[in-house]
Amino acid sequence: MRMRLEAGHFGLYTTMPIIVTLLFGLFLSPSMYGEASGDEREDVTKEIQELRQQIEIMQKKLDELEQKNKELEDEAKKQKEEKELEKAISQPTPLPPQGSGFLKGLVQSLNPDISAIGIFSTAYFSKNPPAPQLADTDPANTGINLQEFELGFQGVVDPYFRADSFITFTLDSVEVEEAYMTTLSLPFNLQIRAGKMRSKFGRINLQHTHVQDFVDVPLPYGTFLNGELSPVGVEFNYLLPLPWYAELSASINSPEGEGPTFVRSSDANNLGLLLYTANLTNFFEISDALSAQVIGSIATGSNGTDTDNRSTVYDGTLFIKYRPLESSSYQEIKLQSEFMLRQATIAEGSFIDWGAYAYILDRFAQRWNAGFRFDFVDSNKQFPSEQSGELFPTQKEYRYSALLRFNPSEFSRIELQYDFYNPSFRSNFSSIFLQFQYAIGAHGAHPF
Amino acid sequence: MGHIHFKNKEINLMRQYKIFQFAALPVCLALFLMLFSSIYAQVASAKIKVVASLPTLGEIAKEVGGDKIDVKSLAKGYQDPHFVDGKPSFILDLNKADLLIHNGLELEIGWLPPLVTGARNSKILPNNIGNLDCSTLISNILEVPTTKIDRSMGDIHPGGNPHYWLDPRNGIAIAKGIAERLKEIDPKNASYYDERLGDFTKRLSAKIKEWDEKLAPYKGTQIVTYHKSWVYFSDWAGFNEVGYVEPKPGIPPSPSYVADLIGEIQKMNVKLVIAESFYPQKAPALIAQKAGASFLVLPSAVGGSDGINTYSDLFDVIVGEITSKLASHGKG
Repeated sequence: MRMRLEAGHFGLYTTMPIIVTLLFGLFLSPSMYGEASGDEREDVTKEIQELRQQIEIMQKKLDELEQKNKELEDEAKKQKEEKELEKAISQPTPLPPQGSGFLKGLVQSLNPDISAIGIFSTAYFSKNPPAPQLADTDPANTGINLQEFELGFQGVVDPYFRADSFITFTLDSVEVEEAYMTTLSLPFNLQIRAGKMRSKFGRINLQHTHVQDFVDVPLPYGTFLNGELSPVGVEFNYLLPLPWYAELSASINSPEGEGPTFVRSSDANNLGLLLYTANLTNFFEISDALSAQVIGSIATGSNGTDTDNRSTVYDGTLFIKYRPLESSSYQEIKLQSEFMLRQATIAEGSFIDWGAYAYILDRFAQRWNAGFRFDFVDSNKQFPSEQSGELFPTQKEYRYSALLRFNPSEFSRIELQYDFYNPSFRSNFSSIFLQFQYAIGAHGAHPF
Repeated sequence: MGHIHFKNKEINLMRQYKIFQFAALPVCLALFLMLFSSIYAQVASAKIKVVASLPTLGEIAKEVGGDKIDVKSLAKGYQDPHFVDGKPSFILDLNKADLLIHNGLELEIGWLPPLVTGARNSKILPNNIGNLDCSTLISNILEVPTTKIDRSMGDIHPGGNPHYWLDPRNGIAIAKGIAERLKEIDPKNASYYDERLGDFTKRLSAKIKEWDEKLAPYKGTQIVTYHKSWVYFSDWAGFNEVGYVEPKPGIPPSPSYVADLIGEIQKMNVKLVIAESFYPQKAPALIAQKAGASFLVLPSAVGGSDGINTYSDLFDVIVGEITSKLASHGKG
């Protein structure tokens, strides 16, 4: 009721001026008409002209309005698009996916990455006992051997260091294989490693047993270094500002206990009798498929036979890898060779002995590798071996090895190897190994 | 006795002196090179140096960074991103990098971490401003394990499926994350990166609309893929993955598994079998043939085959090949 009343009110108010105008028009227009009747034609024309002008003005205004309207519409459209874009861009950066409670606990425990690797091998030697074990990890006798069980703990210490520790167990020993820290943010492309570590020396020396391609270590490594050079020390690594990868390393170390070449000197106060190493690693990317590594190394230190008796070992390494990625995702051929020369002074005089190995490994199917290796050691002098104890020049020895490997997955490996071994001090013998390997825990990086 | 002791001492001194001589030359050389390299580094630092672990991420970075950044991608597009050789030469690129862009979710775990450590570059260490894990930019990571996993399930990734770049909508999120990071590293060019990001997003959004339209008629298509690397693509395209050539991620198929799979999918209406070019082609081709499906070898990354130079190119090829195969499949 009230609504209608208001509507009526409103109607009256708006129509009022129109009615008034009409009434005025009725009374006034005839007299005006009468006055203007003389120039009727002219006036009409004039009026039409005026009207036309008015229409033109109105048209112009209309055009302007239309134009403005279009502009506004365009702008609105653009704004809408921009808004959409902005919405797409400004979606809040999502938080990392939240696992369920116990998974979250595992991820954020701040524990180091833990891994465990077991290496076993069944072995058959045509003569038993075989030649003296060259490295602790080599299979020792006919039967089933635990080559090594390795526990790894790896993690970042703080913003300045990371730490890598590996403890290895054999049936009768526990050894800290490596336990070292690495700097993360030193200036001038420097990196320092400190602790017990496999020295930057040659190529195989940096590879743990489970990464090495053959079941047993090559003869020169076994003879001169007892399988590996892993003293306790401090190592300075400098990345050279060259167009290719070149790393210069130098280290000061105390050798671990008794070794065939380096022995911790009893003359502890003499810095000159510590073990020093220097190494230059070069890497050349010849093409996307072909790359080469050239390494030169030297290690010098006391050999323990007398206070001033030193040994120095030189190593030259060539490693070539061919991986034609464009034609095959897995095919890979590796050629690896190291030459080692040892110069030592012992009570009986000084001698030089040397050795080398070279092998080829072909990954001919996704999970299969086949390889062949030749290695030997020799020397320029023969001493009666009973005189010089632990350290005596090598006699002539050589060996051929053939290998077939199957990797069920990245985390397990089965390897069959045949060795033909000719040590000059006794007659030839053959050996066959079947090695099993597993790796659990943190996913380690594949070495180059 | 004293005399001998004295002599020994003298010899020791001489030895120490010799060792000093032996060490002096390399030390001098090293100091000289350090000086040289620090000067060199200052002269050569004009553009932001970006290293991308995968070429697809590198290309998106190029779209955003334009000529204000230099991008180097480590892996090749035609290569399996799980098994890249961690070549020492990559260390040189990482050494000079201002920003490392990587995929995350442990896709590169087998090769990238030792390179980052070896790079001696604190800028790109994890959790620093110069280290961008692109998986943190993605809102819907698929296949995140909710129960305890182990490797009897194959080589699975604890953080979820890492192949997220195969959903083009994620390309926008990645570009946005890269732009944000570039703005943080290089604030004076912030508006430049914003502009390029807007432009890229606009172009990609238009393209996504176009691809959506092309794929729309094929929603619900049943497919088999080699690896679980197409789940994000299928999620976007509306495809239904009913089987995988690999019995478990990273485990190649045995003949009996292939026979079982053929038997299983013959009962279904599988139209496509997809494998990346770096996987063996024999088994998937056989499965496709026996199941009456079409077999498609597809690139899964920028640079995956000739002519794929941008992120859009990648989907142009994937969507183009799939739709033309499906169209002809219907007729044939």
